[in-house]
Amino acid sequence: MSHHRVTIVLSQAQGKNPAKRALEESLVAALIMEPGLDVSVIPYLYDIDEEHTGRLFLESVQGDMVVLSWLFPRAAFWLLDRDGIKGHWGETQLKPAADENEDEDETTVEPEPAKGIGALHVADRHIYCLDLRDFNAPDPYLVEIRRIADECRTRQHAKAKPVLVDLNLNLNGQANGASSPAFTPEQLLQTPGRRWYPVIDYSRCTNCLECLDFCLFGVYGVDQFDRIVTENQDQCKKGCPACSRVCPEHAIMFPEYKTPAIAGAPVGAIGGLKIDLSKLFGGDVKDALAQAVDERDRELVADGRQAVGMAVGIPKRQADKPDQPKDDLDKLMDALDDLNL
Amino acid sequence: MSESLTFLMGKYPAVLPADLRYARNHMWCRPREGALRFGFTSYAVRLMQDVYFLDWSVNAGDALQHKQQIGHIETSKAVSDLFAPLAGTLVRFNDEVLKDPSAVNVDTYGAGWLFEMAADESDTLSVQEYYNFLDANWEKTQTMLKGHM
Repeated sequence: MSHHRVTIVLSQAQGKNPAKRALEESLVAALIMEPGLDVSVIPYLYDIDEEHTGRLFLESVQGDMVVLSWLFPRAAFWLLDRDGIKGHWGETQLKPAADENEDEDETTVEPEPAKGIGALHVADRHIYCLDLRDFNAPDPYLVEIRRIADECRTRQHAKAKPVLVDLNLNLNGQANGASSPAFTPEQLLQTPGRRWYPVIDYSRCTNCLECLDFCLFGVYGVDQFDRIVTENQDQCKKGCPACSRVCPEHAIMFPEYKTPAIAGAPVGAIGGLKIDLSKLFGGDVKDALAQAVDERDRELVADGRQAVGMAVGIPKRQADKPDQPKDDLDKLMDALDDLNL
Repeated sequence: MSESLTFLMGKYPAVLPADLRYARNHMWCRPREGALRFGFTSYAVRLMQDVYFLDWSVNAGDALQHKQQIGHIETSKAVSDLFAPLAGTLVRFNDEVLKDPSAVNVDTYGAGWLFEMAADESDTLSVQEYYNFLDANWEKTQTMLKGHM
């Protein structure tokens, strides 16, 4: 057996959804039996802050990593990047069932070349993020994780540098528990408080700094290279995704937001969603900028500050930008519009 | 005291107690000392089914506008933003339901209450008015639901 081990991190869902818990448990049960894998379970990735043991654990992982979470892979990958847990994007072959037909067209649907500024100080390893919402049975994940583990080993062998350090201190590949010895499962799984902050996808971000101009709560800043960073994540206003709406490259994600495009969905991957009853329960739908301005004003007023409306930080390019094509949620919203609530 | 009304959602009877007031966003409203207590009507619960996750984006003490977004819910059948049923001040949330939202399903009009607001009750509907509101919109609601599910 190869010395190269792959760390599998399962990030639990928030709340008490029994179907989600069941999938998590069956995955962990199956994965700890697999040779060459180190399996750990942490709470909901988005919520753990730098004090949390789960974060310390993630920081301690040096090699290739597979992260299973209830987040869009882009959101999970870039929030890890923001937290200093960096690596190259591991391309997964796991596709939600609805996307299968598109595989044949792959040659024609070349992804746009990345025009973002990219990540800095990327570590020499790969991080694969899998979305636990894609399938409700463990098997597709297990197949993909085995494939990824093989891919990682092949890559390591190609480098012709034997890995000398077994990070998990396992003796003779003995099956161990679900965590690294330095961190007990109790510590790892301590329920974190809930957080809310933007996650920047640097493969899309062009550093135009529109978000920095628009946000009036000091969430954004620039680093020593004048690159945009989410400097004060926890100054962000819970529930407010306004900066994401004004980003021209759709590079800002709020993984918790209900609209898939803002939560970090790949284009065209919103099939199989639950019905959205927001309109029935009293929502209003507006264009993106007006909505962003409203959201920002509401948070300003809540902070005892003056609402600024369209007077501050409004991106000029938005004026002639066509609305995004309607998605299934919009269609539902239209149907609900007729209800005249 | 008058009897409760039952709105038939297909074969499912959504019971609407007569001693409650109602809001158009499908919440019931129970006037209590100094505040109005709100929860989902059995009509709303039937559409959502088992509640898995409830989250609030405002805090106790916040002034709310009518229809302001105040939270989010995930259930076995649906997700939805949640909105203020009236303008007023949020007094407190039901912490028990935040920890374990299943009370919304098992005791919809009792332990499953969501929050209390200081607000003007006169903008709410009587049980008959709410029934009529459901009746008038049921056709369109069904069309919408069928189109989606």
